[in-house]
Amino acid sequence: MNWLRGLVMTATALVALSTSARAFEVGIIGFQFSSETHARAANAAAEAAKAKGWTVTLLNSEGSLPKHVEQFETLISKHVDAIIIAMGKPVEAEAEFKEAREKGIPVITIASGSSPYALFDIQSNEYKVGAEAALNLLGQMGYSGNLVTARFDLNVATRIRGKILDAALSENQAVKEVGKFSMARTQSWRDDVRSGMQALLLQNQGKINGIWASFDGQAYIIDDLLQSQGVKKGQIALVSADGGKETYARIADPNSTLLATVAVPFEEMGRKAVDAVQTIVVEKKPKSTVTPGPYLFTDAVLVDAHNVQNFLK
Amino acid sequence: MREVIARYGTALFGLAVILVFIVFAPNFASLGNILNVLKDTSFLAILALGFALAFTVAELDLSIADVASLAAVVCGWLVQLHAPPFLAVMAALAVAGGMGVINGIGVTWLRVPSLIMTLGTAAIARGLGFMITQGVAFVGRWPVGFTSIARGNVLGVPNLVLWMAGAALSAWVLLSWTRLGAHMVATGEADEAARLAGIPTRRMKRIGLLLAGLCAGLMAVLLAANLSSAAPNMAGDYLLYAIAAVLLGMTMFQPGKPNVPGTIYAALVLKALGNGLVLLGAAYYVQDIVLGMIIIASVAFSASTMKKAAFKV
Repeated sequence: MNWLRGLVMTATALVALSTSARAFEVGIIGFQFSSETHARAANAAAEAAKAKGWTVTLLNSEGSLPKHVEQFETLISKHVDAIIIAMGKPVEAEAEFKEAREKGIPVITIASGSSPYALFDIQSNEYKVGAEAALNLLGQMGYSGNLVTARFDLNVATRIRGKILDAALSENQAVKEVGKFSMARTQSWRDDVRSGMQALLLQNQGKINGIWASFDGQAYIIDDLLQSQGVKKGQIALVSADGGKETYARIADPNSTLLATVAVPFEEMGRKAVDAVQTIVVEKKPKSTVTPGPYLFTDAVLVDAHNVQNFLK
Repeated sequence: MREVIARYGTALFGLAVILVFIVFAPNFASLGNILNVLKDTSFLAILALGFALAFTVAELDLSIADVASLAAVVCGWLVQLHAPPFLAVMAALAVAGGMGVINGIGVTWLRVPSLIMTLGTAAIARGLGFMITQGVAFVGRWPVGFTSIARGNVLGVPNLVLWMAGAALSAWVLLSWTRLGAHMVATGEADEAARLAGIPTRRMKRIGLLLAGLCAGLMAVLLAANLSSAAPNMAGDYLLYAIAAVLLGMTMFQPGKPNVPGTIYAALVLKALGNGLVLLGAAYYVQDIVLGMIIIASVAFSASTMKKAAFKV
């Protein structure tokens, strides 16, 4: 009879396990992990979610919109409790955002732009980021000279930064944009930036006073190109935005041409997304306790030679 | 038994994997998820059919994904300009078909190997796509008259599934029931013998490559309509999976030959694999590894019992 008792107890335990409350589940999608900032935001969100004991499904859309949409749909099918999307596509994936809302799955985005179907978008005030970067660069150039830019209009954040730069240039006519490279979202974007900027640098050799990069990933490539051409720090002012260990190391490096960045706290944005899910979805507090509008802004900080040591720690 | 495994081994393996997902992946077998998988499969299946049709005449078309992206861009461009949806669709098909004709001319008249010819047209298509868009995707809330081509449904069956079924049926009828199809197959299996038998093999190759282009065009229209956007390189990710679907398909039903049922089934299994792994909560890097392992294992399973290698090209 002992064996029978044991069997019954085991069966009871199994039934209890199967009917016990499942862990809170969150799906996290980063649009293109090969872009460091996407990975930083998504990984930080995943880490924060796991620290809370949540089940996390972490996905990388590899820069492919169809794949992104598929992953989004699958998370909805999975009936996860919440979805966090880093650098998502609220217009292209509008149908999926809408479906998530209809199925009662809250979506929070990071640096994606607003969607009427998402709770809100966490972003730095890219208008402010753009202004800080633009004015710092123009200041380094003495508000005159020739400028080359590396743009990326397919991402809302870098697109806004570019527009703010244009506004700054329109008010500072002594600075001329003599060359512009527009990056496309390809899987070989690094090679594209390298070859595109190499051509621009060759074309305008000896005439360039400043280079504006829409994000740090582009700036690294440009920095490497400039160094290979023997350009010393300060000879051509190079400024970008995003921040990160690599960026701070280059700003501090006397051999690097990168002078400054506007550090966007991507990790903090990922963590804030998880905290917002905790507040709104788990604790069921109203969204207005986190933010009343479509955005939750985080602060970005200008990092240059004066304060970079604080960021290297 | 060996015959069964040789003919259906890969298919059975795929079925086994799907059964595993049905049992262990939450909501895998839900109607909503099944429809999602079928819809996602449609793009891959149609593009893979194009590759298969070219492969049937023993030619490789590596331009299908880039041609699809270009066709999507042309379509999106016209929709964005408020052109009638019919015109946008026809333009996309014309562009894609035109690229197929160029491939055919290059291969049969200029005697450029299809591998090289289509690599060249792929690069041209990619460049044209970026030239038209200037790197910025066409995005918007496009007219329902256009988006419903993909997003609508007939009696509950998604239009995408109907398009896939229609394309598959058309291809199967062509290859199995028409003289043209028989000539195409004969050309692919034994070019010289077919030519000596009076079959216009060069014309068959041109037709095969034209049909590949048209499949890419159809896929492009559906993709643009579904995503309400058109970006250069938006179909780029599909190339490898389309080739994988065709090659996997060649290990089943008609081992050693590109065949429609095998291609469609393989496309379905590939998409179901990705979907199931997400539902199981596998992180993105696990998915790629597992997908590769399962593809190798499923082909090895049937290839080990086949007398003739499936991949003689």
